[in-house]
Amino acid sequence: MKNTPRKAEDMLPLTPAVLHILLALADGERHGYSIMREVTQRTGGQVKMGPGTLYGSIKRMLADGLIEEADERPDPALDDERRRYYRLTNFGLRVMRVEVQRLQQIVRLAQSKQVMGGSEAIGGLS
Amino acid sequence: MSASSIKRDKGFSYRLYCLLLYGYPAQFRRMYACEMARTFCDSYRDTVRQHGRSGVLRLWSIVLYDLSVSLFIEHLSAFKAWLKQLLAIEERHGKTYMSLTNIVFAQRTDTGLKRQSNEDSVISILPEDQQVMASKGVLFVVADGMGGHARGEVASQLAVNTIRDVYYQQESDDLATSLRLAMEQVNARIYNKNMSESPQPEPDKMMGTTCVAAVVQGDTLYVANVGDSRAYIVRNGQAQQISLDHSVVAKQLREGLITKEQAINHPERNKIYRCLGVHDVVEVDTFTEKVQAGDLLLLCTDGLSELVAEEEFVGIVQQYEPQESVQRLIERANEMGGRDNITAVVARVA
Repeated sequence: MKNTPRKAEDMLPLTPAVLHILLALADGERHGYSIMREVTQRTGGQVKMGPGTLYGSIKRMLADGLIEEADERPDPALDDERRRYYRLTNFGLRVMRVEVQRLQQIVRLAQSKQVMGGSEAIGGLS
Repeated sequence: MSASSIKRDKGFSYRLYCLLLYGYPAQFRRMYACEMARTFCDSYRDTVRQHGRSGVLRLWSIVLYDLSVSLFIEHLSAFKAWLKQLLAIEERHGKTYMSLTNIVFAQRTDTGLKRQSNEDSVISILPEDQQVMASKGVLFVVADGMGGHARGEVASQLAVNTIRDVYYQQESDDLATSLRLAMEQVNARIYNKNMSESPQPEPDKMMGTTCVAAVVQGDTLYVANVGDSRAYIVRNGQAQQISLDHSVVAKQLREGLITKEQAINHPERNKIYRCLGVHDVVEVDTFTEKVQAGDLLLLCTDGLSELVAEEEFVGIVQQYEPQESVQRLIERANEMGGRDNITAVVARVA
């Protein structure tokens, strides 16, 4: 049921799409396309999220209570059509924080093993 | 490149994308297809603005990749939901039974598209004990809870469980009275809960619930109700509402103060003047009807009766088996906007 208290840790790990959507909503409400544009811009075009991945993730995030629908209104920068806006819930904010902490730990681990530096080349894809 | 050819290409791409959206499961499509098409349009416009025509090809390659991946994921998740329901892991959401006294029934409840949580509750009881079955019959209860902070859910759940316990414990042969007593018991329990939480609560901060309970025993149907959840008998293509709506609008309609047309779009049509749990005593209406083979019984909350027209639900319950009917009824209410929680029980007397 929806009202049982859940731990943010239970939601981890997040899929990349979910984490990027949470990050895009961290500074305020956005509609779907605005989320997509924010993600592309902030990642320098590395992450390209299509509408299917976007709305599939939104659907699951709504069901998990990570985000909620704000209201429907036009985006003044685009046209007159009304768009559905989404915003973070407190639970979503907590989940994002613990996920970022988890990733920080991985980065620290990598740093401690010095996989990023040194003169030896590390085998990779490119 | 002329402006008109850009416009033509855009129209073509948009139509193609809309067509491809039909690949998604129906429920997903209903909720997001419009938004997705709009998002596609926005991306298209910005891509052409930034990269010209060459960007369109890149956009399509991203979109097609996204489509194939997410189509797979959404179908998988729809399949998992279906499987879960089939295995009745989520017990509150769907059950079908076949009873020895030839009654086939199914129940289903759904949050709808606009609400955050489901405050409706539903229960269907087929006694295992043949003696109890013969004397007390099959019980169906639907309740629509209200009150903030998930308390509506508590109230409606308390209602269906209390009715089940109290009804089957009554020793009297008078089944209509047994149902009424069970309803009164629900009222007392919710009322006491309200009082124990705050000694002088304001009426609109208290939790409460509507409730309609129906028993089929032999060839008789007993119905008790408080509020605006409904019980219908569907026979020969006609629906007859057995329960009495305790809504302000229905009362005005009965008293001839407003017309049926005025009632349909009345701003206060959701307001009820009687519900369980808000006052220390409650008046319960009970009804007794004869049923015959082929009759269909429908119990529902206003999330269904407000949105799905009578002729439409009659068509559905007559055409399909109960299990499929409840599913279709809820789908239909969601297609009509799904603005409230939706609950339905359909039983076929054979």
